[in-house]
Amino acid sequence: MALDDEPRLGCGRSIDRIWTTVDQPPNAHEQTCGQCQAARSRLRSLREATQSLRESDVHNTDLKPRSGVKSSIMDVARAEIRRSRRILLASNGNGTTEISEQALSAVIRLAAAEVHGIHARRCRIEIASASSDSSAGDRPSGYPGLVGSHLVIGLRVAVAPDINIPRTVESLRQRIITAVPAGVGISAGTVNLTVEDLYDV
Amino acid sequence: MEHYGHGYEPEPGLDEGSIVARAQDGDLRAFEYLVNSYQDRLFRLAYRMLNDRGDAEDVVQDALTASWRGLAMLQDVQAFGGWVYRLATNRCLDVLRKRSTRTEHITDPQDILSISMDGAGSDQLADPAYEAERTARDDSLTRVVNTLPPEQRACWLLREMHGRSYAEIGVTLKISPAAVRGRLARARIQIAEGMSEWR
Repeated sequence: MALDDEPRLGCGRSIDRIWTTVDQPPNAHEQTCGQCQAARSRLRSLREATQSLRESDVHNTDLKPRSGVKSSIMDVARAEIRRSRRILLASNGNGTTEISEQALSAVIRLAAAEVHGIHARRCRIEIASASSDSSAGDRPSGYPGLVGSHLVIGLRVAVAPDINIPRTVESLRQRIITAVPAGVGISAGTVNLTVEDLYDV
Repeated sequence: MEHYGHGYEPEPGLDEGSIVARAQDGDLRAFEYLVNSYQDRLFRLAYRMLNDRGDAEDVVQDALTASWRGLAMLQDVQAFGGWVYRLATNRCLDVLRKRSTRTEHITDPQDILSISMDGAGSDQLADPAYEAERTARDDSLTRVVNTLPPEQRACWLLREMHGRSYAEIGVTLKISPAAVRGRLARARIQIAEGMSEWR
């Protein structure tokens, strides 16, 4: 017998088949076959024992790692975190104000969390220079940072399956366009949104 | 250093894929949520594979640390669960391979016994006689499972204790889903026979 052939009892009945039908009444063959009857009874006990062990293990407070395990994992994560780039918000005679890409992403995600049916995922922020920037003239004045350049926000999202995607995504864009200047004082610039998934509700 | 509660969620109701995506962006809270969500499951798997608390904790720590380091490379955020299970399973199999090339690892039966008896079902107010019978059955099942060869044991644990899919187990063990099905059927009949001998 090849290793991956379907395992069978001596009578030819597939063990997998017996396992999947063990809760149903025996068929004509199983009613008379001693091997099948023995296998059915053992597999039925095994099914109960398996379920019992699964429940015991899940509820067994001893079957958990020490808290030190998580601390060690998080220590490594903190030590090795990729330092994100910083974006200049303002600069004057008294000094500069910068924000990390991560903090700005958090502002954007908070805004996205207010839109029903949207789960914000990865967020990338690029800074486009003025030379390649056709919309620079549209930027409201009075934002002292990013002189001659503007943000290009790329946010990927998962959406609820029952929403109107174009309408919801447009309201997400408006939410971000409002929230970024309100929170950090610079224009959101270009907001590119990608729906990459539907999430289960 | 910041500490978040066990029940911390980056945002209420957020799906796991979105949490994984945020962890990929370097969001430590999102990653910590994933650690909380997987560490106990992976420990149960590793403990039932290795029968040693310390080794099982090492596996959990290695697998989840490796998941942080490899997160950026993960293409499909939905695949995170299967991926960390794979990392943990392969580490367990490595530990068992190393043990077998050294001396036979002796597991103190008392150690296993105390783990499976303490606190098992402790949140239930059940009939003590029933509980004793249940514990004895759990015990005999784990004893028989421990006699399976490592890959077959991994196959059985991943499917029966953790509900992982045939396809995912196949990827982990580098065999086809049909071969997983075959191995499971063989494992089940072997365990069932082992348990009936035990009685």
